[in-house]
Amino acid sequence: MLRKTKYLFVLLLLISISVVCTCGTFFYVKLNNNAAASDDLLIMTSCNPVYIATLNVVDGIDGITVQNLSQPTTGCLHDYTLTTEDMKNLSKADVLVVNGGGMEGYLEDVIAAYPKLPIIDTYEYVEHSPGFDALLLAGEEGDHEHEEADEEHHEESEEEHHHHDHGENSHLWMNEILYNTQAAGIVNGLVEADLGIDENVLLSNLKSYGEKLETIDKQGLDNKLKGQNVAVLHAAFAYTAQSIGANVVATMDLDEERQVSAGEVSEFLDVIRDNDVKIVFAEYDYGNAMGKLIEEQTDAKVVYLETLVHGSYSADDYVKVINENYSKINNTL
Amino acid sequence: MFSYAFMVRATIAILLISPLFGMVGTMIVQKRMAYFSDALGHSALTGIAAGVIMGIGNTTVSMIVFGICFALLLNYISRKGLSSSDTLISVFASCATALGLAILSRGGSFSNYSAILVGDILSITVAEIVQLIALFIIILVFWCISINRLTAISIHATLAKSRSISVRVMEDAFAVLIALLVMLSIKWVGILLINALLILPAASSRNISENFREYTYLSIIFSIFSGVAGLFVSYYTDMATGPMIVIIASVIYFATYIYGKDR
Repeated sequence: MLRKTKYLFVLLLLISISVVCTCGTFFYVKLNNNAAASDDLLIMTSCNPVYIATLNVVDGIDGITVQNLSQPTTGCLHDYTLTTEDMKNLSKADVLVVNGGGMEGYLEDVIAAYPKLPIIDTYEYVEHSPGFDALLLAGEEGDHEHEEADEEHHEESEEEHHHHDHGENSHLWMNEILYNTQAAGIVNGLVEADLGIDENVLLSNLKSYGEKLETIDKQGLDNKLKGQNVAVLHAAFAYTAQSIGANVVATMDLDEERQVSAGEVSEFLDVIRDNDVKIVFAEYDYGNAMGKLIEEQTDAKVVYLETLVHGSYSADDYVKVINENYSKINNTL
Repeated sequence: MFSYAFMVRATIAILLISPLFGMVGTMIVQKRMAYFSDALGHSALTGIAAGVIMGIGNTTVSMIVFGICFALLLNYISRKGLSSSDTLISVFASCATALGLAILSRGGSFSNYSAILVGDILSITVAEIVQLIALFIIILVFWCISINRLTAISIHATLAKSRSISVRVMEDAFAVLIALLVMLSIKWVGILLINALLILPAASSRNISENFREYTYLSIIFSIFSGVAGLFVSYYTDMATGPMIVIIASVIYFATYIYGKDR
């Protein structure tokens, strides 16, 4: 009798959990249902900068939905894990646009799971664009403070794990010229993928977007900081410095999992002092603590900029954020 | 849901891993080895680090080798009785975790490996499912052959010895088995949650079971149910699968705890 009661309890328990899970899931899906129209062309993008560029190059073309893989709140992509929603979207996607250059660590999983999905690699396009390839920067290991670690990291790069600082700095969108080339790469990829999108409209959109990017106001920084030594606390800002002609003498790529050693910090501070660095570019979330230390220990001022990985996911976000970045630098000088 | 190949693979993986967790978990709870399996999970980091240093392309191999060595060494030192086993396990686990973190974080590159903390069952490939099938068969065969001897040892080791059961060999073999299970499934479940999946179904079953057979069967049922329901909910709500499985397993634990307490 007791045993029967127990089995009945187990059965009721499992049924109750099933009912609660099913009902809860049903209401959750109802509340969050924002799926694209099924007959639309679905262009998936891997991060905010390529999402914005794609939005602009397909602007005004009917029957296209552009959707970003990661949620708007997620950070840098190197440690991003695909969610079930991403996997579902990818299986329906007609093309995937990525930043490339090792930024998307999960790309190999996507290629393995969806071998037929065309992938537009914007970094690769820039790499093969004569004149622009020379603007691509090396990752943190290419800098003075990690030269000795290069050999060891080369071994790691042969692992299944890839990271954007393994030899190359793939935050190229922070330089408007390279970003424009990325947009051209997207147009080129969409044409090559033969999705039936009007090439002329794409090229006209690309031209308009290029003109918009030219309206970015550098506020004379390309004169004020040209040839000046700067330091960066995020690899993305090496491209900001490149865009205004500044010379990056020290890079410390800080993110949520970066643990710096005391020796590394003191070496970084020494480089700032020795090279008479007056301004350091940092991201507030991960560079705030180090920024305070730098301002305390050296004469350099730290300016907190945006990397565009987070954003409002609107078509004008890029121009707005880059303009704000230049204003912040100008106000700090 | 099953129109997506990744979900079919994930479901097969869950159906392979979860009964193993339910089954092996019963003996882990019975032998009070929860801390041991947790330490093994954390040592996966060092296994990866060892693989990276030695330039081994497939870090699963280095994780398995390191996990087996770690488990056997822990057993060997525990038998010496120089210190209490929980202290020893804690020392070993901390040391292994620190070593793994130190090596993997050099040059600030730990983020490359952070995915292993939470796991990702959705990216499992067919080849990896084949590995899990092999593991499933190995554990099932071992279980059928050794369950009586393991149970005898868990109840009274000296008595088991007097019945000509080689306690040392069985304990080492079981430790190797746990190491294999933990290391082969850690990529899909994650370091942070693997022990919860090993312990919760068995602990829930223990709350209400009256004999070992019932204990094992209920543990396997709870484990499979949590796994499948967790995958189902995570699929539709777009939340991580591992934590969802653990949440459901925890609900089952609390319900059985309340039921078992009042009996």
